Amino acid sequence: MSPYIDLDALWKVLVAGLVAGAGLVAVYALGLAVLAAARTGPSAHPGGIAIAVVCFGAVLAGAGLGLYVMLAK
Amino acid sequence: MLLAVVVVSALAFDFTNGFHDTANAMATSIATGALRPRVAVALSAVLNFVGAFLSLKVAATIATGIVDSGAITLTVVFAGLLGGLSWNLLTWYFGIPSSSSHALIGGVVGATLIAAGASAVKGQAIVAKVLVPAVLAPVFAILVATLGTFLVYRITGGVPERFRARGFRLGQIGSASLVSLAHGTNDAQKTMGVITLALVANHTIGGRDGTPTWVIAACATSIALGTYIGGWRVIRTLGKGLTEIETPQGFAAEGSSAAVILAASHFGLPLSTTHVCSGSIMGAGLGKRLAEVRWRVAGRMATAWLLTLPAAALTGAAAWKGAALIGGTGGVATVFAVAALLFGALFLAASREPVTHRNVNAEWTGTLAPAPTKEHAS
Repeated sequence: MSPYIDLDALWKVLVAGLVAGAGLVAVYALGLAVLAAARTGPSAHPGGIAIAVVCFGAVLAGAGLGLYVMLAK
Repeated sequence: MLLAVVVVSALAFDFTNGFHDTANAMATSIATGALRPRVAVALSAVLNFVGAFLSLKVAATIATGIVDSGAITLTVVFAGLLGGLSWNLLTWYFGIPSSSSHALIGGVVGATLIAAGASAVKGQAIVAKVLVPAVLAPVFAILVATLGTFLVYRITGGVPERFRARGFRLGQIGSASLVSLAHGTNDAQKTMGVITLALVANHTIGGRDGTPTWVIAACATSIALGTYIGGWRVIRTLGKGLTEIETPQGFAAEGSSAAVILAASHFGLPLSTTHVCSGSIMGAGLGKRLAEVRWRVAGRMATAWLLTLPAAALTGAAAWKGAALIGGTGGVATVFAVAALLFGALFLAASREPVTHRNVNAEWTGTLAPAPTKEHAS
């Protein structure tokens, strides 16, 4: 390991950042899109709402995990 | 007496840290109208306050590992704080987001250099803990936020506007709150660490004692107060100047900031909140097709980031030298008084071209302070 640069931490932060930062943001957007389709479609889609709930739940869980790892140090 | 001056300087630094960094969490929410300006800073202030109390196991001593701990005297701590404080206020005047931790590290390094010589400063640690992360933080954040913004627009392209606006407004408030909380936890700790360091150097408490409760309460209060006062000049640059931001972009930017900050803090990479958040906002501009990033503004920010360390170091060194030349507590008090006068002058200059919660969202016409005629309440 180079004394000037912690490569190990580096790629972990990049991967975690991409998964949580871009990934969860996309999941939230997906939940929103599905919810909108279920609400505005011709008939009610209980399945759509369930998918939306799962999406938002995943985002909340991600935020919770983020808080947990920050505070558990 | 000397200790009191150091504690007051530290709390003043903490205050500027708060009001400089309100923009990190709240600039996008204010720019998109997700939150009214006063509500946004109030929310951020409360979360900073709470955050400051949350993680108290080790009040991270910022200078440890960067300068030789034997070289740290009360005067060095004082001069370092003054260096950081000056840089924070100067960049605030110009409305440039800049890392408070880098300013503080710069100040302490400068003061140590002149007080104890080059051997007391660990060059390798500065490269590894300050310079490399400073380059990486915005790059990471730009990558994450660009991808996030791109995905958000791809996925919600067909969603009716009213759904989109409401959904992302909520998401934006949530993610901005997370950034505020993380800021309080990480940044208030730095000042707690500095005050604890001063108390130990003064033998008020032992080296193994924890941070006293009054220090935690005082730091939490001053960072929250600073956040609430709101660095409107910096908020305006980040929210309006760097790029024009819509609610989905604001959400992607804050989500990216929160993820990168929390991941960095977990894996022990000392990234600056300011660098991450500024990078995220740039990425949000890039990720939306045809959105423009004002590169001139971005360039000014990058220049300021390069100058942070040397400028704060010079000020820190000058403050130490000034105090040493006059000598004793009187020297420190004199330098403190001179600095207070200069800061007052800067506030006076700023109030001639004010940026407040009223005009923070005025259209960006290339200058920080909007022309008075274009001012509109929001």
